[in-house]
Amino acid sequence: MATIVDIQQEKALEVKNFEFTYAGADLPSIKKLNMPIAKNAITALIGPSGCGKTTLLRSFNRIHDLYPGNKYEGEILFNDKNILSSKEDLINLRIKIGMIFQKPTAFPMSIYDNVAYGMRLQGIKNKTELSNRVEKALQDAAIWKEVKDRLKHDANGLSGGQQQRLCIARAIAVEPEVLLFDEPTSALDPISTAGIEELVVELKERVSIIIVTHNMQQAARVSDYTGFMYLGELIELGRTEEMFVSPREKLTEEYITGKFG
Amino acid sequence: MTHTQKRIIINKVVMSLSTLSAMIGMTFLFWILGVLVINGIEALNWTTFSEVGAPPGYEESGLKHALIGQLYIVGVAAFAGVPLGILAGTYLSEYGQKSRLAEIIRDVSDIMMSAPSIVIGAFVYAIVVTPMGHFSGWAGSIALTIIMLPIILRTTDDMLRLVPATLREAAFALGAPKYKVILQVVYRGAKVGILTGVLLGVARVAGETAPLLFTSFNDNFLNTDMSEPMASLTVTMYNYATSPYEDWQKLGWAAAFILSMFILGLNIIARVFLMKKRGK
Repeated sequence: MATIVDIQQEKALEVKNFEFTYAGADLPSIKKLNMPIAKNAITALIGPSGCGKTTLLRSFNRIHDLYPGNKYEGEILFNDKNILSSKEDLINLRIKIGMIFQKPTAFPMSIYDNVAYGMRLQGIKNKTELSNRVEKALQDAAIWKEVKDRLKHDANGLSGGQQQRLCIARAIAVEPEVLLFDEPTSALDPISTAGIEELVVELKERVSIIIVTHNMQQAARVSDYTGFMYLGELIELGRTEEMFVSPREKLTEEYITGKFG
Repeated sequence: MTHTQKRIIINKVVMSLSTLSAMIGMTFLFWILGVLVINGIEALNWTTFSEVGAPPGYEESGLKHALIGQLYIVGVAAFAGVPLGILAGTYLSEYGQKSRLAEIIRDVSDIMMSAPSIVIGAFVYAIVVTPMGHFSGWAGSIALTIIMLPIILRTTDDMLRLVPATLREAAFALGAPKYKVILQVVYRGAKVGILTGVLLGVARVAGETAPLLFTSFNDNFLNTDMSEPMASLTVTMYNYATSPYEDWQKLGWAAAFILSMFILGLNIIARVFLMKKRGK
């Protein structure tokens, strides 16, 4: 049904016949969805509100499991294993598949402790190693210069854009394979947004990225692949430069040209 | 009279009435404080703290026994009530959430909060004092723990639920197990609120008299054995203030003053914490 472009490179994730039903809902929010996610590339998920793009994103690290009653069906393959299996170790999964949220989620602790949090969870106690990796993560997240003199300060004293970069630093400090971005710039000003976008593009060298965005220009600017979702289905997955110029599906074209949404 | 004039007059009347009501309330508050401070400071001297109770007429008479007894009874109650309340509140917010059991506990705890404290005293009298055969400090502490519990439980529950869900999700998304999310992220986010709840809970029970009257009862001498009847500031104050002897009545004022300052102090500290939290 859906038009899916052939992905030549290796795949980071592969969604197969995936269905997701929220607790208490009669109908699934995502219906029989198939979708490959390219490795070391940025895949953007676009579509009108309620189309299921965030629901899909939140399935990749199974954050839905925090709330009882949600139901998955089908498969999401990650390193040849179905992460939807009941045997999947969610802690290990979430270390490998990190997430950045819509609003910055700085923990109520110092900047340093925020970045070190994920590493400490993994039992890294060596102070030299920790501070080296904290510094590197902050540098990679392009925020080191701004915070290096106040690492012990409360992270909540940072601006929204800085906090979001801090969250990215915290996520990449544990060296994940995949990073999920849930509308990471919707709460930020244009300058901070540009900074985050630049950062996301740089990160794809090391991680595979899936980004949910309401902003089509953002999808066009940063992503290699774009998936258009509508009413819980994937309508089209294509190379971004092709899809925004000549979409193959009529629905995609209508959405991109602003006829609905 | 035009519509505008009418509006202006009604506005003035309402404003005057509400300001007047507020002033009346404030007057009583400062009146009470004023009477307390004047009589209390007059009655206070070094022997108030260094000496225990004595028969009327003796110079060397003080409240040391009641102060120590109060500290023991409230201290033990807090030692039991604070962890119990915080853990129960944690259950409600983090585990029970909106389940039926959690909702029932919330309702029961709200009812307990408005239960007359003398009823709790009667309950402890029946289940602790009667089987033991005599009054004791323990019984007093148990009564105060029961009164304190719902206050701390509900504030903890409320404060933990104020921590945004995305903060928990962010910690889980880094691979944190649930107990670490609660201990390291949720508690940290709510610590000021929880501390405020604890202070208010302790302040509330520190002023209780009725449940102590027939649990810890009283003792005119210094006693640090919790299994024996024990003096408390509140019961001592009641006994001294209602006695016909002027020097005892003075000690009653001193007790009232010390107790009020202690509770006022706890409340002010709690307010300062809350203000700091909001200022952030």
